[in-house]
Amino acid sequence: MSQPEGTLQLPPQLSTLAPTVDWIYYFLYWVSVVFFVGIVGTMVWYVIKYRRRPGHRAEPTGHAPNLELFWTFTPLILLVLLFHWGFQGYMQGAVPPPSARQVRVRGVQWTWTFEHANGVPESGELTVPLGEPVRLVMSSEDVIHSFFVPAFRVKRDVVPGIYTTLWFEATALTHHYDRDESTTCRRDADCGEGRYCVDSAEALDRRVCASRASCEARDDCPGDHACVNGQCETPVEVYCAEYCGAPAGATGNAGHSAMLSSIHVVTPDAYQRLLDEGPPMPPECEGTEDPLACWGRDLYMKNCIACHNTDGVTAVPGPNFAGLWGRSEQLATGESVVVDENYVRESILQPQAKVVAGYEQIVMPPFRFSDRQIDATIAYLKSLERQGP
Amino acid sequence: MTTDGGAVAAGRQHAAGHESYLAAKGARSWLLTVDHKRIGIMYLASVVLALLAGGVFALLIRTELLFPGQTMMDAKTYNELFTLHGIIMVFLFIIPSIPASLGNFFLPMMLGAKDVAFPRLNLTSYYLYVIGAVMALAGILAYQVDTGWTFYVPYSSGQVGAGGTYADDSVLFMTAAVFVAGFSSILTGVNFIATTHTMRAPGLHWKRMPLFVWALYATSIMQVLATPVLALTLLLLFMEKLVGVGIFDPRMGGDPVLYQHFFWFYSHPAVYIMILPGFGVVSELIATFSRRKIFGYSFVAMASVALALLSFLVWGHHMFASGMSEFASMAFSALTFLVAIPSAVKVFNWVATLYKGDVWLTTPMLYALAFVVLFTIGGLTGLFLGTLAVNIHVHDTYFVVAHFHFVMVGGTVMGFIGGLHYWWPKITGKMYAETPSKLAWALIFVGFNVTFLTQFVLGTQGMPRRYFDYPEHFHRLHGFSSVGSYVLGLGFLLEVVVFVHSLAKGERAPPNPWGSAGYEWQTATPPVKDNFVAQPVVWRGPYDYHLATDEELFDGFPEEAEENRAPPEAP
Repeated sequence: MSQPEGTLQLPPQLSTLAPTVDWIYYFLYWVSVVFFVGIVGTMVWYVIKYRRRPGHRAEPTGHAPNLELFWTFTPLILLVLLFHWGFQGYMQGAVPPPSARQVRVRGVQWTWTFEHANGVPESGELTVPLGEPVRLVMSSEDVIHSFFVPAFRVKRDVVPGIYTTLWFEATALTHHYDRDESTTCRRDADCGEGRYCVDSAEALDRRVCASRASCEARDDCPGDHACVNGQCETPVEVYCAEYCGAPAGATGNAGHSAMLSSIHVVTPDAYQRLLDEGPPMPPECEGTEDPLACWGRDLYMKNCIACHNTDGVTAVPGPNFAGLWGRSEQLATGESVVVDENYVRESILQPQAKVVAGYEQIVMPPFRFSDRQIDATIAYLKSLERQGP
Repeated sequence: MTTDGGAVAAGRQHAAGHESYLAAKGARSWLLTVDHKRIGIMYLASVVLALLAGGVFALLIRTELLFPGQTMMDAKTYNELFTLHGIIMVFLFIIPSIPASLGNFFLPMMLGAKDVAFPRLNLTSYYLYVIGAVMALAGILAYQVDTGWTFYVPYSSGQVGAGGTYADDSVLFMTAAVFVAGFSSILTGVNFIATTHTMRAPGLHWKRMPLFVWALYATSIMQVLATPVLALTLLLLFMEKLVGVGIFDPRMGGDPVLYQHFFWFYSHPAVYIMILPGFGVVSELIATFSRRKIFGYSFVAMASVALALLSFLVWGHHMFASGMSEFASMAFSALTFLVAIPSAVKVFNWVATLYKGDVWLTTPMLYALAFVVLFTIGGLTGLFLGTLAVNIHVHDTYFVVAHFHFVMVGGTVMGFIGGLHYWWPKITGKMYAETPSKLAWALIFVGFNVTFLTQFVLGTQGMPRRYFDYPEHFHRLHGFSSVGSYVLGLGFLLEVVVFVHSLAKGERAPPNPWGSAGYEWQTATPPVKDNFVAQPVVWRGPYDYHLATDEELFDGFPEEAEENRAPPEAP
């Protein structure tokens, strides 16, 4: 089953709400076509038929009160219908099913950050399960933004000072899957490590094992898929729809029009793994010499680099990471501690538990890392030790 | 309208003593004039200047969007440009365009009056407009305002963080500028209401008023009632900034959505302030060039008033995605659909007027027909936006941009240019060249549709508005739209050439080149200083072609007609 395609007028329908909205849209469209052709056709016909020519004169305008009452009040019937359907569809989009999974969304100039129900964070991009309602609880830290997903037909302003919400249920996976149609499965676990249980492309009522194609460039991917994070995928596009400015002096795309994001729709089991284990290892690290350390470096670049250097020299605001592993540190309490697995784990999750002497004034915030992310961080610290400063 | 036999005779005798309103020369005779016709011309020059400036900014915007990525300016500059385009077009061009220029010139003439009720107030309102315009432009340049014409808080009130690139009080300054310009509208509105009530010629009762006057009357009521809300908003903004009362700013416990309510409570009626005068002009054009009274005259007149009143009840339809309650959205959606009725009735009546008429396809008539076509599209796409479920998808996308350009440009600007062609001979005493202006019309019509029909598709495909850059898959549509805008620009350029050529070398215009039965044509071309040489007495409606004499229709003002009838033969 490949992803649904869009039409000339509308993007693909990737949520349960989309067919409802599109049905009303096309109804409006054909009503408009009929009215437009009727009005403009009549106008053109009259312009030709009653054109000015020698010997032709206008007749005085008469009265036709019944005609006027007719065309004043009959459109009301149509308008009441439109209002009714529009409001119905709007309420469908406004009231999430009680079972909806919750995701916190924060808008800040000019990025989106996400936090899943159990606290697992995602930065810049959002992963959601296929076929399960997801409710976004959104807030802004500066100006008004607006979370807009054209393929889901949802949009809601993100306003500082209040929470706004929207919900959707995704109806198509975004990655490209190579299906093994000879298999059957119920869950991802039936298919083994690195494989997924997805709907069969051949039979409606069957699910089969499949794997995601990895890629280095767009050319490696079939169809219109792009190469995203090392895998062939057409992620769902997210835009900021409420104007939110741009930085002065930036070149290229910046500000409001660069406040983009994407949604990855994955199998429910893959989503559950994300919640349990946190975000998976970046695919580009797979197959490298030390994949775990590569992942740890990725985490370091995203989370730690603002305070911790690795040049072996700079030790402010936080301790330098080079040569840190295995060293004995003097704590502010006077005790000493060896930098080992447990100390690193504690320092990530509860940074204030054991503070090294000299850093009493620096308050490091706790980081919500999954176990595997902590393992990766440890592997990265060890790799720094091996390479030396 | 005509004068009876005796009055015509009197007119002939006095005519020699009345000179054209253009006779006096010198800057002083213009800058300190209280003649509504001269004030109308000063407004005309100002709004045309604003239109051209706004148009150049629009072309720069479209050029930046010709290709994805940075084409000719950075993101911040782009944001400043669309802000300039919006503010100039909305506040300095469209709102004053038809009422203050053509309205000022023709409202008294259509009422058979010598001038507006308060001529000095009229001049005051012109200068307020100029002060407001200068303040707005100075503010935009000094503060590098990049908020868009809507000034939404808290973006516009300055913030901590990366976006705080402009001074905190820019929104105060800009609102103050709009407020001063708004006062100009209020004064013009008061003036027009008083003129319509008190200065009508004998025999000109309400059911004989030209539909252009009805439209201006309805517009004036809205200007007087809606514009003060702007002052209220300004006062609240000042209280927040200077006294520190949290009203709109979330950091002080205020509600940014409340600002949007205030803004649209003014700006939605303002949309009708922009379009109703266009309706009025088109009614005049269609009646004149079909040589027939507008079908359902009372319905058309009352539809203007109904739109004026309904326009105060629908501001919330700009805010369906803002976080406003579902109940409020429901109410505003229902009320919004009601607006469709009077708008549709007007379109039906215009088309019905052509039936059994004698349709003369002059340039002004072509603009009127273009108005009907484009306004029909603008109106029908309004249904999409009023329908809640669909609104959520297309809100804040190019669909909205296309919709309001169809209404504002396809409506008001077509009405404005059509009206300008129609009344040009009366205003200047010169004819314009018909064939080049028809070509310009064709360029504008085609260019406009290519530019903005494309944007409907961009919008339904999900392209958000106010984007400096866009993903590759929108490139084809954006490129198409930009090319259309160049055709549109070329059309406007040709119109400028047509009018300038007419001023310099145009043929002398007869008093009533269109054979119109309208009251404003029953005087000299250009009009005498007091509009009419004697107090006119009205005995028929402005569209009663079957009652008008041939002399009225084809000769207009009798004295001028006689001169024209016997041109000196070339040796």
